[in-house]
Amino acid sequence: MVFKAKRRTVVTTAAAIFVLLVVGIVVSVVTSGSGAANANADMITYPAGHRPDAPDFTATSLTGTPINFASYRGKIVVLNVWGSWCGPCRGEATTLKYLDEQYGPQGIAFLGDDIQDTPTNALNFLSGHGITYPSVNDASGAVEERLAIAVPISGTPTTLVIDKTGHIAGMIDGPVTYPEFNTLLQDAKVTQ
Amino acid sequence: MTDVHAHSAKAGPGAETADLDREATRPFGTGPVEPAETGRGGASGPPPTAAGWGRWAWRQLTSMRTALILLFLLALGSVPGSILPQEGSDPASVTQYFTSHPSLAPWLNRLGLFNVFAAPWFAAIYILLFASLVGCVVPRTFKLVGSARTPPPRAPRNLARLPHSVSYPSALSPDAAVDAAASVLGGQRFRLRRPAAGDSGHWLAAEKGYLREVGNLLFHLSLLGVLLSIALGGLFGYKTDELITEGQTFSDTPAQLAEVHLGRLVSGSDLAPFSLTLDKFTADYIDSGASIGQPAGFTANVSYSAAPGDPTKTDVIQVNHPLSVDSTKVYLIGHGYAPEFKVTGANGQVAYSAATPFIPANTNTMLSDGVVKAPDASLGFEGVFVPTAYMANGTTLESIFPAANNPEVSLIGYSGNLGLNSGETQSVYQLDTSQMKEIAGGPHLMTPGSTWKLPGNLGSITYVGTKQWVSLEVTYDPGQIPALVCGILALAGLLLSFFVRRRRVFVRAVPGADGIGSVVTVGGLTRTDASGGFEDEFASLAADIADVSSPSAPLSSAPSSSDAGPAAPADNQKPEPNNQPETGA
Amino acid sequence: MSVNAGLAHVSTDFMIAALLIYSLALLAFAGDYAFGRPRRKAMMAAAPAADRAAQLASVGAAGGSAAVVLDDAEPGTAEPTASGPGGSVPGATASGTAGASGSGLPAGITARPARPVGALRSIAEAGPWVRAAATLSALGILAHVVAVTTRGLATHRAPWGDMYEFITALTCVAAIFFFYILVKYRAWAIGVFVMGAIVIALGLAETLIYTPAGPLVPALQSYWLSIHVTAMTLSSGIFFVAAVLGIMYLVAERYRKRVAAGKAEPNPLLDRIPSGPQLDKLTYRAVVFGFPIWTFGVMAGAIWADQAWGRYWGWDPVETWAFITWVIYAAYLHARATGGWRGVRSHYIQLLGFASLLTNIFVIQIFVTGLHSYAGVQ
Repeated sequence: MVFKAKRRTVVTTAAAIFVLLVVGIVVSVVTSGSGAANANADMITYPAGHRPDAPDFTATSLTGTPINFASYRGKIVVLNVWGSWCGPCRGEATTLKYLDEQYGPQGIAFLGDDIQDTPTNALNFLSGHGITYPSVNDASGAVEERLAIAVPISGTPTTLVIDKTGHIAGMIDGPVTYPEFNTLLQDAKVTQ
Repeated sequence: MTDVHAHSAKAGPGAETADLDREATRPFGTGPVEPAETGRGGASGPPPTAAGWGRWAWRQLTSMRTALILLFLLALGSVPGSILPQEGSDPASVTQYFTSHPSLAPWLNRLGLFNVFAAPWFAAIYILLFASLVGCVVPRTFKLVGSARTPPPRAPRNLARLPHSVSYPSALSPDAAVDAAASVLGGQRFRLRRPAAGDSGHWLAAEKGYLREVGNLLFHLSLLGVLLSIALGGLFGYKTDELITEGQTFSDTPAQLAEVHLGRLVSGSDLAPFSLTLDKFTADYIDSGASIGQPAGFTANVSYSAAPGDPTKTDVIQVNHPLSVDSTKVYLIGHGYAPEFKVTGANGQVAYSAATPFIPANTNTMLSDGVVKAPDASLGFEGVFVPTAYMANGTTLESIFPAANNPEVSLIGYSGNLGLNSGETQSVYQLDTSQMKEIAGGPHLMTPGSTWKLPGNLGSITYVGTKQWVSLEVTYDPGQIPALVCGILALAGLLLSFFVRRRRVFVRAVPGADGIGSVVTVGGLTRTDASGGFEDEFASLAADIADVSSPSAPLSSAPSSSDAGPAAPADNQKPEPNNQPETGA
Repeated sequence: MSVNAGLAHVSTDFMIAALLIYSLALLAFAGDYAFGRPRRKAMMAAAPAADRAAQLASVGAAGGSAAVVLDDAEPGTAEPTASGPGGSVPGATASGTAGASGSGLPAGITARPARPVGALRSIAEAGPWVRAAATLSALGILAHVVAVTTRGLATHRAPWGDMYEFITALTCVAAIFFFYILVKYRAWAIGVFVMGAIVIALGLAETLIYTPAGPLVPALQSYWLSIHVTAMTLSSGIFFVAAVLGIMYLVAERYRKRVAAGKAEPNPLLDRIPSGPQLDKLTYRAVVFGFPIWTFGVMAGAIWADQAWGRYWGWDPVETWAFITWVIYAAYLHARATGGWRGVRSHYIQLLGFASLLTNIFVIQIFVTGLHSYAGVQ
């Protein structure tokens, strides 16, 4: 009889602790509000061999010419997701133009992915900032969607660097800065 | 198992009903923890050891009284959450409250009253409540399992003390009478107990209604299940919002969504990868009668593909009819107007051309505010859109009907630096005019198709036409179905616990006067707070047993006990056999 | 689909007719309360002395509850669990024992346990006032049901889409539920109070919050209207009756305590209110009926909210108050199982729950903005 009573207490205590744990989880889930996608890191780099595939896509540029991403294989690609309506994108546009002028001759390809925009507004933006590299007319967001499946893109602007084998070497969340870009570029060159 | 018999010897004539109560409840074995509440049993203070304090605290926590207090606190705590604006559902109103109550609002904020249901103190209340619940439910589950295997208690010696009892003579011998009763009760699916070999007397104990406690436990445990389901949703679910104009497409990614709320374990890549186009949106309004202007229906025609590369399907989203894409649902939340503008800069080039969503300031008339930004032409405009224009007093632009029967837009123009080049984020619905100069000629009223040539060769703006936008919400909640299932189980448990009575019926037969036949006494009891109806059931059972155990005519002329007393009690002296509802004889 | 104005008028006419008939029923109940009930008691008291003695003897010998003697309640009313031997069978109390003693059986033994009495017969035998009141109540309910139904037919939807419709449907449910317990438990004495409350509520609805029949806003155009609001209407109607009984209980208990303590003079009208335990049991049974329906209604509301607003629970003010009401009624149920909280305290809790329900309907839905503001009241 005594043994039975003790076992009962043990089970009851265990159940109570379990419930308190579960409820504690509930509380922390509820009280901390919505979790961010990730810790909003400025930069994510993927070591060679553990890089997500960059999705292939075909699309049209803002000027109407076809773009086939597969044809970019063999080159390092800097892919910038932007929109003419996006304030921080205006800020980094000058930086990107400079990087294009500097690294373009070295064989690094720059490509834009213009989302939720119209060609008129987008071309205006580009000519206003002197950017000459092509951008995908991604008004429907289909290309960005494929990218977002591969890496956690959380907003605009976002810049991806893709290595020569077609894998995503890293990502900058927010406006591009020179030091970050340099780091990413060096990483991307290592493809083992 | 306590025996009722042991206590009936103590009770004198005219025993208080309270005593009978205790006898009635205690044998059921799953009664409330009475001694702790009333202070009897010496639970006045805990022994001075840690374990003693712990046990005392635990017993206090799991007592009914504490549960009562916690329930009150839960209800009370919810009140401010319904009266004050809450961050979770209406952050704009919260900000407004701060501006209108500048001294009170910060104090309310410190107490967490603007986000009550996520506040730590509210969580503490329901944590304690659920701990109390579990602490009560688990031991009772043990007791239930235990009682499921034990037979009913022995029949008390004096059945007349029970709340329901009736005695009548029978022609059968005591043994046969009890057997007959057993057949009746057994046929009603009572669990029976007969005297053991050594017991004297002819009696029968029957018990039924174990499902009641099962229902009770099921209900309380299901509530816990609901809580767990809510947690599941909070961890793995997400909710996103997007505003989309007719003709536009968006994909379900954080970069393309206006608002993203992800569960704790969800990352942006986990969102369902569909893309959706708003083909057309129609809002119908009642145009005559007492309810003029009231919305009659909203319809959004959309095309979507569930994943990149999937074929495109078309569908309709309406209020109360969300679209299901894989395991997510897309809801129609709001709508508004998006007038289309074309802005030409000083150099003659088109600097901006798009349908611009305007936000309704008044949902009854759909008068809306919006902003057009053309930073590359250094132009910005603030506008008011009215779907059915009406000039009140000749000067004030108003809308008198929510449908776009006579759309007009009134613009104030600015030229200068919009402040976007520094790269800071700005709301697309607000214009920062701190570095801009107002253009002369505003507010300029425009009808569709008209152009405003800006003075000073700054350019021009054309009001091309009017489109509509909708705001959609995409939700994914894996805890939804479990919550529903737990809710249904809780309801089932509730019904069982309310409408199944745990009851006992006892039958005793003693040899009759002069050794002929027997006198049968049938007694019954049920939990004092049971939902009732037992009187009728007991009466029917007693009558059934009487039928079976008195197959011959009654020993004396039967009183008409079926008549309601009030009419003429004196009449009941006379035998009225034709009033007997049953004629077992 | 436009509203059928003709049917809408028919609905209003029948609603007013129901109100009038209920008022007449109220008068009949009042008549029974004032005249019929005492006559029934007097008849019982005037029974031959032998019968009375037998009654008392059997009561005393069995050691059963003394409530039969103290309460003076007529045997025709339900005596839940607090009755002596043979008293557990409605209609078979004293008469059965009396008859037995008259036929030579020892005290406390009846010749045959009797089956419960049929409802219609007990109405017939309760006197002309009760007969009239029951008939009028039934007629009133009929008219009320027609009124509610034609309103639904006029608007081509379930007739609880705005506050006026909700109140009229709620009072209809209350009337039906009241009639059910009136007959099942032969509780004639509660008629004057409950019917009075129904008349007041329906009257206020007709005069203050009448809304012409109109179509529903899009958010309400769903078959869930029939499910969720129906459940809330049903349970609200039942809680309405429970609240009236609770008030009766509190009044009666306070009066009896004061009389017992010598602080007040016995008042013949108040004397006739049914006993505390009886009212307590009736109230409990009403809440037990209403609570699962309220629970179901809240759940159905959550399912509908998920369809319409994208989430099954968002602490919208009306949702929150439905939750508060639920918690308070749950507290009442717990209180009844807790020592020291039964009796008067539990009724305070129950009435607090009803107050919360009323707050939800009349304050929150009208004055607090949220997703639920469909009252239609300007």
